[in-house]
Amino acid sequence: MPLRPVEFHILVALAAEERHGYAIIQEAARLTGGELRLEPGTLYRALHRMLKDGWVVESGRRPAADLDDERRRYYRLTPLGRRIASAEAERLSRLVAAARAGRLLTRA
Amino acid sequence: MRLAQWLLRAYPRAFRDAVGDDFIDTSLDRLRERRDRGWPALAIWIVALADTLRHAPAERARAWLEWNAARHERSRHRALKSGERTIMDKLLQDVRYALRLWRRRPAFACIAILTLALGVGANTAMFSIVNAVLLRPLPYANADRLVSVWSRTTQYPRGLLSYTEYAEVRKQTGTLDTLGLYLAQSVNLTGVSEPQRLVGIFATGSFFDALGLKAERGRLYTEAESAPGSVAPVVVITHQLWRQRFNEDPSAIGQALTLNGNTLTIVGVLQPPFDPAEVPGAGYFIDGDLFLPAALWPAPRGLVRAGPVMLGIGRVKTGVTQAAAGADLDLVGRRLLAADPKTQQGRSLILESAHDTVVGASTPALLLLFASVGVVLLIACVNVSHLLLARAMDRQKEIALRAALGASRGAVTRQLAVEAALVAATSAVSGFLLGRWALSGLAFLRPPSVPIPAQVPLDWTVFLFTGAVAIGVAVLCGLAPALKTSRPDLSRVLQAGARRASGSGRRTRDVLIVAEIAMSVALVAVSALLIQSLLAVQNAPIGFDASNVFTLQFRLPQTKYTTPEDIARFFKAAIEHVRAVPGVQSAALVRAVPFSGNGGTTGYAVEGRPAPDTASLPQARLHFVTPDYFKTLRIPLMKGRDFTDRDDLTTPLVGVINETFARRAWPDEDAIGRRFRSPDAPAPITVIGVVGDTKHYTATEPAVPQLYVAHYQVPLIFSSLVARTAVPPMTITNDVRKAIWAVDKDQPVWSIYSLETAVSRTQGQSRFLALLLGIFAGVALLLAGVGIYGMTSYGVAQRTHEIGIRLALGASSERVLREVVGHGVRLTLVAVAIGLAAAVAMGRLAGAVLFQVTPGDPRALAAAALILGIVSLLASYLPARRAAHVDPVIALNEE
Repeated sequence: MPLRPVEFHILVALAAEERHGYAIIQEAARLTGGELRLEPGTLYRALHRMLKDGWVVESGRRPAADLDDERRRYYRLTPLGRRIASAEAERLSRLVAAARAGRLLTRA
Repeated sequence: MRLAQWLLRAYPRAFRDAVGDDFIDTSLDRLRERRDRGWPALAIWIVALADTLRHAPAERARAWLEWNAARHERSRHRALKSGERTIMDKLLQDVRYALRLWRRRPAFACIAILTLALGVGANTAMFSIVNAVLLRPLPYANADRLVSVWSRTTQYPRGLLSYTEYAEVRKQTGTLDTLGLYLAQSVNLTGVSEPQRLVGIFATGSFFDALGLKAERGRLYTEAESAPGSVAPVVVITHQLWRQRFNEDPSAIGQALTLNGNTLTIVGVLQPPFDPAEVPGAGYFIDGDLFLPAALWPAPRGLVRAGPVMLGIGRVKTGVTQAAAGADLDLVGRRLLAADPKTQQGRSLILESAHDTVVGASTPALLLLFASVGVVLLIACVNVSHLLLARAMDRQKEIALRAALGASRGAVTRQLAVEAALVAATSAVSGFLLGRWALSGLAFLRPPSVPIPAQVPLDWTVFLFTGAVAIGVAVLCGLAPALKTSRPDLSRVLQAGARRASGSGRRTRDVLIVAEIAMSVALVAVSALLIQSLLAVQNAPIGFDASNVFTLQFRLPQTKYTTPEDIARFFKAAIEHVRAVPGVQSAALVRAVPFSGNGGTTGYAVEGRPAPDTASLPQARLHFVTPDYFKTLRIPLMKGRDFTDRDDLTTPLVGVINETFARRAWPDEDAIGRRFRSPDAPAPITVIGVVGDTKHYTATEPAVPQLYVAHYQVPLIFSSLVARTAVPPMTITNDVRKAIWAVDKDQPVWSIYSLETAVSRTQGQSRFLALLLGIFAGVALLLAGVGIYGMTSYGVAQRTHEIGIRLALGASSERVLREVVGHGVRLTLVAVAIGLAAAVAMGRLAGAVLFQVTPGDPRALAAAALILGIVSLLASYLPARRAAHVDPVIALNEE
């Protein structure tokens, strides 16, 4: 079951550490070199779905030092979410290997 | 912030509950980031809106599908158990068939549903507002019997009542159950750490009676306790004051408040008869902080001798008509006149329904809006009916085939009906949701002077209305073609040429086109008129410079400042202190700041001419000002001089008049040095200067005579400060407050705002109206443009076959083109003519709201006619040109 790209990006953004909504947007942008700019609508629809399916949970609220004093919601991966992200990463890397074998990728 | 909240409401509730607040936080972060990077506000708006439009409907659809799938499982379970095909199954099959067709031609479904949804949604929102404001009864007991009682003079068709009039009416009337007297005025609250100003409503005990009000705690005061001679030192507080000041502590009852220097005991808390958020204008009559006995009204010689100072609210006896009550009241008024001709000269008593009092002013504007929305809906319906007609004709072959394969006529009709119903239902639901969403958006945009409540409730009336509209539309649009095409002659249909436009089909289409163009022209023209009017309002000169002017109001407690000398001394000291505040360029006092809603008038009689009787003296607007007032507001001094500190209580009375006054009173002479008398002045007033005309209440009022007298010669306790500042006005607020408190530390000040704000606030209603109409006109233009183009070009394309024949038979392509386009031109001309006539009629309705623009203004009409006329002509010309250049052989084969 291939993940939708948006979901995968969010999972990857949460893989290293738990983040709040805006930080997820920033991290996703950073990971894709500025190409993926998530809007709140896109982000929260995906988050809503992943919360319901148990891939992501809320992990408390605290102020974000870089923004302001408002307490924000932080999200983190569940073990299930982490497994799904790894599985998808595996699948993608297999595809990349196949592409490399077929001389489609010229860069390392 | 509110934008984000509004966008969030488009998502379903489960979504909002789960991630709603975080959605808002993150949206705000985004907004801030973009603003810091220099994005224009409009771009930020558009991106956020686009994001919402992309996701919110999909999310709602998903939520609905999930819910539906679960339900489906249950019903399928049940069906399997019963094992037979019910009517429900057949209908479901029709629905599935319709959905399949839609998926193949999504454009049709989308356009039809979106068009109808727009029309229905706009109607829903507008009807909710009209319902809440116009159709709802006032939220008081026996609201249909509530009446306002006014006095009437030649000067004021609706004037205040005196206590004597009130007492006499109560004694003599046989048609009123009860009559109450009331008026709101600000009162000073002292004896607390920071003196404050509250809104007090001076009212008789009968006031509570008339409105059917009750006490939530404690009690309300009685008629005796509020009457002069037997007044008790009591006060009733409102629920919101109880919450704000006493935290709903029951021990508030019995505590004392010092208001206007009087110590009053709280005897009760008023129970609000409705939820303030749902009722416009906080219920109009009880919009205040507390209720004081009427006899405590601050007048130097007491309430009875104060003359007409209050408003009357009464209740008519059951079974008595308003006309009868009015006649009875008139009789009482005449008896009063006979008994005391001097005081009652020129006065009579009238009543009007309380509902009209509250709502009256906004009726024409609201009705106009309602009419425009109705037109938008009609245009939407016309569009959709064309779409359905076109599709029905497309599907004739398919229908014929089904009939040939054995489907009964009933089954075919049923399928078409289901499809139309599906369009109607989807449009109704999406229109309803769209309407709710638009309504919350409207609530943010409305100005305070328009009586739309904070939350317009969507009640069953609205829902039924919307549903009825949608069903009506669906029946008209969907079923008519269904009935026509479900009886096809198989052989005729299957032959080529079936798509040739039949005679009656073409006539229907022509009528629809004309109707659509006409309605769009009318709507766009009227909107243009109103927008023109708005621009005139914005640019109307007010006669003074409102930028960088700081104002505040205060009222000196009578007990502390008893002599005019005391008052004058306070004023002089206060102005000196304020002038010393850094950033203040000049300062002065004036009794009624322009555009504050306050003001007064007085009569005048030119000396040396025969004086008319008091009741019919010409009136001038009266202002009390200190020296430097004209300089502060930059009102030009045309002749003579300004007041100086030497014009005080010891020198003769002087006055400065405006140009209109000078022109009317002394048309051929120099006004300087002339004298006139006023019933309110003890001595004649000499004119020492003439200033330019200024506006006082609204920017669009006509020019009236205005009189300025020296504040120091008439020291009054209520006044306002105006100060021209070198810095943004609101930044010096604290310094000015401290300057005044340096003179008297207990003096509360309030209504602190910049004059510019006050001036632009009065334009709020016109701007709001123009905005709404602009939106509707834009939507109508879009729908009409698309519809007209589609319909006309489709009609022309229908005639491709016929064009091909004529070309093949040797007609020149120009001639064919000319004839086809000529038909289009004829239709357009007829439609535009009808539309313009309707526009003029609608413009007359808007006349109440227009300023400096006549209903028949040619520019607006021309603009509307031109735009839509061009669209229509293009729609005839382009496809015709294409058809005329096509190879006749292909055209002949075209089906």
